[in-house]
Amino acid sequence: MKLLVIFFLVLFPGMNAIAQHTHAESDSVKTLNEVSVTAIARRKIETELKMAVSVDEFLASSERISFIKRGAYAWEPLLNNMSTERSTITIDGMHVFGACTDKMDPITSYVESNNLATIDVKSGQAGSLHGATVAGSIDLKRKSTPFAPNSEKQWNGAYQTGFEFNNSQFFNLGNLSYASDKFVADGSISRRKAGNYHNGMDEEVNHSQYQKFNASLGLAYKTSPLSSVRVDAIFDQADDVGFPALPMDLWRSRAIITSAAYKQLFDDGLVRAWDTKLYFNAVEHYMDDTKRPENLVHMDMPGWSTTFGLVSQANLKRGDYTADVQLNVYNNLSIAEMTMYPQDRSKKTMFAYSWPWVTTRFAGLSMNNAWDISAMSTVNFGGSLGWNYNHSKYVEFNWIFFPGSPQEKTRILPGLHASYQLNVDQFDFSVGTGYGHRAPSVSEAYGYYIYNSFDRYDYIGNPDLKNEVSYEVNASAGFRDKRMAIAVKANYFHIQHYIVGRILSLGSPMNYQSVGVKGYASLDHAKLFNLSLSANYDILTHLHWTGMLTYARATDDKGGNLPFIRPLSYQTSLHFMHHGFGIQTSLNGDFAQQNFSPEYGEDLTPAYRIWNVSVDYTFDFKNFKTVVQAGAENILNEYYSTYADWGNIPRMGRNVFTSLTVKF
Amino acid sequence: MKIIYFLVAVCLAALSCTKEKTDYEAAIDSGATEFTEFKEVVNVLDGDYNISIEALNGAFYNGYNEIRLKITNSHTGEIASVSAVTFLPINTNADGVSSSCPHRYDLLSIPDSNYYSGYSVFTSKSSADETWELYIGFTIANQPHALKYPITVQEQKNKNLNMTAFTGKDDEQYVIALIAPHRPKVAENELVAGIYRFNKPTSPPAGDFPDPAQFTYTEVGGYTLMLDPRMPEPSMGNHSSPNNRDLTQESDGLYHGVVNYTMTGNWTLNLMMLNQNGRILKGTEVPTDFTPGIEGAKSELYIDVLF
Repeated sequence: MKLLVIFFLVLFPGMNAIAQHTHAESDSVKTLNEVSVTAIARRKIETELKMAVSVDEFLASSERISFIKRGAYAWEPLLNNMSTERSTITIDGMHVFGACTDKMDPITSYVESNNLATIDVKSGQAGSLHGATVAGSIDLKRKSTPFAPNSEKQWNGAYQTGFEFNNSQFFNLGNLSYASDKFVADGSISRRKAGNYHNGMDEEVNHSQYQKFNASLGLAYKTSPLSSVRVDAIFDQADDVGFPALPMDLWRSRAIITSAAYKQLFDDGLVRAWDTKLYFNAVEHYMDDTKRPENLVHMDMPGWSTTFGLVSQANLKRGDYTADVQLNVYNNLSIAEMTMYPQDRSKKTMFAYSWPWVTTRFAGLSMNNAWDISAMSTVNFGGSLGWNYNHSKYVEFNWIFFPGSPQEKTRILPGLHASYQLNVDQFDFSVGTGYGHRAPSVSEAYGYYIYNSFDRYDYIGNPDLKNEVSYEVNASAGFRDKRMAIAVKANYFHIQHYIVGRILSLGSPMNYQSVGVKGYASLDHAKLFNLSLSANYDILTHLHWTGMLTYARATDDKGGNLPFIRPLSYQTSLHFMHHGFGIQTSLNGDFAQQNFSPEYGEDLTPAYRIWNVSVDYTFDFKNFKTVVQAGAENILNEYYSTYADWGNIPRMGRNVFTSLTVKF
Repeated sequence: MKIIYFLVAVCLAALSCTKEKTDYEAAIDSGATEFTEFKEVVNVLDGDYNISIEALNGAFYNGYNEIRLKITNSHTGEIASVSAVTFLPINTNADGVSSSCPHRYDLLSIPDSNYYSGYSVFTSKSSADETWELYIGFTIANQPHALKYPITVQEQKNKNLNMTAFTGKDDEQYVIALIAPHRPKVAENELVAGIYRFNKPTSPPAGDFPDPAQFTYTEVGGYTLMLDPRMPEPSMGNHSSPNNRDLTQESDGLYHGVVNYTMTGNWTLNLMMLNQNGRILKGTEVPTDFTPGIEGAKSELYIDVLF
């Protein structure tokens, strides 16, 4: 703690550089209107079908993201069909690490849709701005209201409520903001409570309930016409969350995510903006397996993850050239324990660390550059250089399977990327390439008897794993006119030393339902290919169609399939809107997963098709803009599970939802 | 500045976790007490000489005990010049039958130290039915001395220093005693044990009681102790650990191997004792299957430990 205080006291006054990430900072910034990033075209946190969505549902609408689902809550986002170890997931550039060894708490589970403005997804090395990555980056951007342009004081607020019938989910989300020319405050509060959901055969899926409370507060003060300070905090607590696909549930998870930022803009010169943020976050996660009668033995598995760090970004511009330079520094301590009780609880317990107090320190400098060669073409290039240090306090746990492995390990993580974009009339094309390293995650390097209920193996980390090295190429082509647009994007990753679990011939399982022990090991290489095709067409002035098709294929060095790779999938929707009245319908589904991986516990997942419909009506009630919506997901009550549903747990059957939004 | 105070306050608040972390080091410490200090357990005056025996923590325990014997001149307090120091523990049961336990009869003079070194593997603790006495002999100036002294053998609370006594397939009586580690860790541990065979007397007792020839033990040589550590609790489903090494004899006469404990709790060291020719004298192979909910089967030769 002392260290932390010193960290804050020493670093806060001495902030010395670098800031905002965007290539779209307006050219002549005269006054500071917004503390946050003026990013990439903002997407509101809602899908076409549903206006009151969870963060997971929103992410699911991105063509690059798929999910591993262990229940109704806290889905693990896969970017480019790669698991969370391979992507960097940040909140406004801040690194937060889940405290659950079983990945029951991805970072996306610690925010709520009403405190986010948008989610910025970058594929591959183009996402290396926030740190070393292979798959790309997912940055959750919080809401931050701009300063009022004149001395008027502005209050804004929104309230959303709704009920979903399938799992009796009731939610209330409220947010309020105040802006003057000197001071801004953003606050949000939300609560969701859901019971068990029912599958397509109207059977109740036990242990799928959840409760979530989330609150956030942000305060910004303009210290001069071109500078401001901002403090932010998010508090999130989930209780009694069921994970039907796992042998245990969550009793409580809690996160506090805090930051203090200073932003300075410049009228002229090469550096146009710099934004420096100090942050601290603490996550705790307590599993509970006492509600499962099949567990004859009970095991407490608490986990803690504490991170503090610094992110500092500068935005540079001169003529046709823009650049973002970002410094990322953080320190994370991950601790996870297992305590098993004999049948006679008074007897001595059995204890081990599944994360033996593992410290990760990272410092990295990243740069993205864009140069407009001509009106038609742009070159993007950049790179990152990171220093990654790990220390395992109770390294004796790691020595059991890997005798003599070092207690400390330092890795250098370089990354490079370049792309070329060309716009010719209504066509645009891009080609790009990338190269990057990533360090093994805490579980992959230092995990100890982490039970994976999908393949039912206990996993052991290997501290001596090599860096994963990714070689990537990507390309896209698109056409756009007044009524339609079509785009195709593809990428290919050749990943050396791809980390997977390999059966160990030694040792025996520890967890009750486990069948053996796997150690993390490096494949010689793995290959991943992702293809997406998206299109939209305005059939009539008020009738719009969108469609999306994705395909992925991934194999290991022997030509075998990798797990959790999405089969050919599609999404198509029609949207009609007229005079405040809207109706939308969508159909989405996956084809059968032919290229499954039995080695990792997968089996053939059959095709499924989901049809959804919703209607909404927008009207003004006094000074309030009001929207009411009702709809149904999975109208045909299809009984299905997807390729990434842990343990083939059936998904939700027909779900009628209603919601009301009031804004002022 | 206010912002910093606010942030630090928030951090402090956040650090107060819902559930406390396990104090692993304290848990390991309390699990098994490791005694490292030799303290006097016997002090007896024999004429002009004072005989002192030291053992770890100043007590004798069921199982392996290293002992240090010191003889001083009771008048001057100086170390006496002695030779032929002998040590014999004798157990008498309720029926008045005498027996001994594995021990070093001729104590070793340790160079550069003022004591004689030996050990005794007490096979039972003292009780109303069983009493223990030490018979000590030594020679000073060609003058033999002999004395006996009643002692108390306490229960061994540290299960990591357990022992087992059995009759092998060769019809000989054996004792296996754990000597190290006193305080194992979740880690690779060097496992040290002694294997002792009772030498059946070849002639009837002669001379004054006790006739040492009736009570001799041999530290057996060239044997192998095959090791398979497992957690016997039903909930652990016969869990085992990797990278263990069978125990073989080293120059100190003791048997050294490696045991890995993957977690704290109850463990059973399943053993098979092989003689120089590889013949199994005691012990059976145990199933290696993972069988959750079923108590792990133990070898016919095993020692339970707990840490």
